[in-house]
Parts: sequence; C-alpha cells; structure tokens
Amino acid sequence: MPVLDLKGITKEYKLGKTVVRALRGLDLGVEEGEVIAIMGPSGSGKSTLMHIVGALDTPTGGTAFLDGQDLQQLKERQLVALRGKKVGFVFQTFNLIQTLSAQRNVELPMIFQGIRKGERARRARELLTKVGLADRVKHKPNELSGGERQRVAMARALANDPEIILADEPTGNLDTESGTPVLELLKRLSVEDGKTVIIVTHDPDAAAIADRIVRLRDGAVCEEVDCV
Amino acid sequence: MFKDFFLLAAQSIMHRRMRSWLTVIGVFIGITAVVALISIGLGLERTITDQVASVFGVDTFIIMNEDTFGPQAHGPGGAEEYTLDLATLRAVEGVKVAAAVRERTGFVQGPPRSDGTPLQGFFPVSGLSPELITEFESFIGELEVQRGGRLFDVGEEAVTVLGSEIAERFQASVGDTILVAGEGSAELSLIVVGILMPAEEDEESRGGFAAGMNQSQNQDTIYVPYETMDLLWGPAKDVLITVVRVNPGEDVDEVADRAEETLNARGSEISAVTYTDISEVIGTMTSTISAFLAGIAGISLLVGGVGVMNTMFTSVLERTKEIGVMKAVGAKNGHVLTIFLIESGLMGLVGGIVGTLLGLGLSAVASSFIGRFFGVEMAVVASPTLIIITLLGSFFLGAFAGLWPARRAAKLPVVDALRYE
Repeated sequence: MPVLDLKGITKEYKLGKTVVRALRGLDLGVEEGEVIAIMGPSGSGKSTLMHIVGALDTPTGGTAFLDGQDLQQLKERQLVALRGKKVGFVFQTFNLIQTLSAQRNVELPMIFQGIRKGERARRARELLTKVGLADRVKHKPNELSGGERQRVAMARALANDPEIILADEPTGNLDTESGTPVLELLKRLSVEDGKTVIIVTHDPDAAAIADRIVRLRDGAVCEEVDCV
Repeated sequence: MFKDFFLLAAQSIMHRRMRSWLTVIGVFIGITAVVALISIGLGLERTITDQVASVFGVDTFIIMNEDTFGPQAHGPGGAEEYTLDLATLRAVEGVKVAAAVRERTGFVQGPPRSDGTPLQGFFPVSGLSPELITEFESFIGELEVQRGGRLFDVGEEAVTVLGSEIAERFQASVGDTILVAGEGSAELSLIVVGILMPAEEDEESRGGFAAGMNQSQNQDTIYVPYETMDLLWGPAKDVLITVVRVNPGEDVDEVADRAEETLNARGSEISAVTYTDISEVIGTMTSTISAFLAGIAGISLLVGGVGVMNTMFTSVLERTKEIGVMKAVGAKNGHVLTIFLIESGLMGLVGGIVGTLLGLGLSAVASSFIGRFFGVEMAVVASPTLIIITLLGSFFLGAFAGLWPARRAAKLPVVDALRYE
C-alpha cells in the first residue's frame, strides 16, 4: 500500500473575489522509502501540494490518504496529531526558533508530544550527532552556518520518528558546498532508515538524488520520470 | 510539559529584554501605588486601634447615648446626654467598676474676693465618679492639681475641685467654700480641696482619650463628686459618658450587651460601646478610604494591563512565523495559547513582585513621615494576604491582558503563518 495516495485532488482558494484553483485534479502515489522530487514552475501548485501532504491544509476535492488515513475525514485535532507524529518538515528558510539552542529546537516537536525531558534530550543529541552536529548542541541558530542550520532543521524533522520527510526547497538558501551534505542526508534517510522523502525543488542537484521526479504544471502532474 | 512551556515563554521574554522591562514598568507602577496605599491604610488602622486599645484595654467599655454611637447615630458631634441609673449598672452581672460623668450649668457663688464681695453666676458643673480618677486614669488622662490640693475620694460629697481659670476668677484657694444651687431649693456648700494645673502648650501629647479634662476649655468647669450631683439635681438625666470595667475573665462584649439591655429596659436610650465596636467603626472608615484611594490607583493598573496587551500583540505579530513552525511540528492550538498566556502572565507577575516590594517600601517611608508629622509611632503593616492577592492578581492581570493576543496566535492558520514574512 502506498504511504501517500492522492486521487483527483483539487484545491481552491478565495483571493478577494477571484477563486484561485491551485490544484486541478492531481494524482500521485508514493511508496514507502521512496525519494520523490517535485518540480515545476512557480504557481504550479507545489507548495499547496506540500501543505496537503503535510496535513497543514485539507484539499477541496478528491481523496487523499496519508499512511492509510483519509485526510478529508480527519478533524483538526487528528490532523495536528498526524503532522506531529507522521510528518517531519524541512523548510527553505530553516525556520528554527532563534531563542532556542540547537538541542532545544530539536526537542520542540517532542515537547508537544509530551515526551519526558531526559528522553527528549537524549534523542535530540542522538539526532544532532546523526546530522553531524554533535559539537553544536548548545549553539543558537544565529551562531550556525546556513548548512548547519538546515541540518538542525532536519534533526528536528526526525524528532518524532516520522514516516515522511517533507522538504520544501531544502537547498534553496544554500550554496552547493553546504547543500550537498543536506541532500546526502536526505538520501541516507531513505536508504538506511526507510523514510519516505518528498522534496519540492528547483535545484537539479536535489532532483538528482530522487528515485522519481514528478513535474507539475497548472495544478496537475504533467510528467513523471523514474530515475535509475 | 507545563515547565517546558514556562521555559519557552521565559526565553521569549528574555529575548526582547528591553521591551519586556518597559511593559513590566507599566505594570509595577500601578501595583506600587495600590500596595502602598492599602498598606498605609492598614498601618493607619492598626495605629488607631492600638491607641484605642491602649486607652480602653480589653476589659473596658463605655456607655454613650445611642444617638452618639449606635445604629441610628447621626454622625459626629458632641456627646448627647442620657439618663443613667448608676446603681443598676453596677449591679449588672460581670461589672467590676462603673464611673460616669454628668454635666449641668448651675448657679454658683464663690468665696468673698479681696473686695469682700463674692463672684456669682452660671457656670458648668461637672460630676465625676471618683472611680474615674482612681480606676480609669488612662481614660481621662492624668489630672494634675496644684500644690497643696488634691482630687476627691470615693465617699466624699461636700467637696469640689476647680478649674484653674474659674479658681482665678473666684479668687478661690484650697480650703475656701463655694455655694452651688441645684434644682428647686437644693443648695450645697462645697469645700475646695484642689485646683487643676493650668493647661500647658503640649496638652495634646498627654493622650487622654475621652474627656481631655486638662484642656483649656475645661479649666472654667467646677468639678464635684458624681453623687453630689444627685443631691443638687436629682437622678441623672444628663450623663455624657460612662466607663465600665468588667470582672477579670468576663467577656467584655457579653457584659456590655447585658448592661445595654438592662439599662434600656429601664428607660435609658444608650449604646454600650466596646473596643471591638470602635475598632470596627475605625476599620470600616479607614478601609473605605483606602479602598477608594486604591481604586483610583487601580486605574494605573488598567493602563499597565493595556501595556501588556499591546506588547503581546506585537509579540504575536513578530512571531507569526514561529507560531506557524510550532504548529507545523505538532503544537496544538491549546499549546500555543498556553505559551502566550504564560508569557503575558509572567510579565504581570514580575511587575507584581517588583511593585509589591516597592509599594511596601514606599508605605514604610510614608508611614514614618506621617508618624513624624502627627507625633505618633505609625505601624508598618506588610499584610501576607495583601501580598498574596497582589501577586496572584498581577499574574492574572497579565494573563487576562494576554488572552486576546494569545487567542489570535492560537487560531492562526498554519499555512498563512508559515508564509508570513
């Protein structure tokens, strides 16, 4: 069973008096452990798709199953639980909390799940070690380089051991040198830990680590390419 | 989990230290004013009741006309006269000593003056129970007589003590005889046994709660034993005040009630006033005043609250993206709400702590000034109840002011919040 199964997804926004049709009957299936790159020009619906997959937003029409659960049927409370446990986000602009140390940033998702302090701290350090930042545990975001910040964000995404990692332009704010370790890490998560990784990107380097590239245009999939 | 939210909130406050402090200042100015005013009010109340207690003691009550001090009392003014049967009062169970003051204006003739003629005229004649002098010194203040004289004793009748001014006008000295005419044909010759010391400048400082007998306006009064008044004017219908001490171990309020009932059943219209009654009246008065003042100061608290609200709105706006991130990583609306409420409550609480300390300090300073001004030792009161209520109140003031901004933060749609720049 695919971990993500989208059929005929539509999403409409009201922007003043005009209705924006961001997604127009999108079909997409993603298997567990796959790395998918979603590409397309701006306005093609990439971000909207990310929000729906990440349970941040609900589709207007169509059916969306995430890990076997029908997103249309879930209440707000259940959506919150879903994105807390099943999904880990990595953002283009890192979105770390500036006032918190790297370790506390990684602990944040666990705090909201009510995990005990000792367990949290242990896991946060473990994850920071995994992303190669064992020596940056106490640093605040503004004391870290861009690449380091994005790796902290990845550790945070992994905090509650989610099945799906959603990365929205993860290398968009990084140069090649600092972007490469981030991409390698994403790939490793799929290969070693069996995580499903969905990357929205313009970056051909990012697309290069994908098992499959999905191109969007005008709110629908226009091309799928399997990379071997 | 609460502890983590607390830390998150505290970290956010520390992050924008300057603005947080300014907000806290807005809160603590109000708290300082309220705490100081209430504390000064409490200190004043304590001081006055202490003074009353030192005069009254816990075993004494006074009897006054029910119009002077009673449920229908018509405000401040001189003491009204009333009818009293002292013998009945003394027989009330639990009464140890009772002493009364009654006053009349009577026709008096002094001793022959240097020109051979005596001075005649109407003068105030005041009947004092000798017990007043022997038993209730704290009440009437220290009565001092000039050298060679004395005050009258229990059982004496045909004696008098003259105020210094009237003695001068009569040209009377100890050993002389004055003539006092009462009602009808009643007439008595009284031997002058003492003359009061003239009033001194610093009279007030001597204390003396009820009568202030040494004061200058009383220096033209003729004092006679209480029983002598009976001989001149018959049974007392003109009593100003009665002081009663109860037997050791008796409950003063109970005895006072009993005396009041007994006397009123016999046609008097009196109120028995105990230390408790007076304290209550003083308490009501001072707490009304301090509540009024504190209420005015409370307006500044409101302003402080609006300051917290303003800061919190700015904070929510600034951290829109952060709120989006927290929600994206699994924060419930309730979590966000709690974090922001703790944050605003914490600012209120810090304002409360600083304000309470400053307020107590201010009240101590003010009390010492007031005390010096009136020449009394002002009590400084740091009421634990007041402190606890203030601290809780300031936390809730902050939290309440933060409620609206926090709700706005909690309800932010994730997608919009994340997109916010």
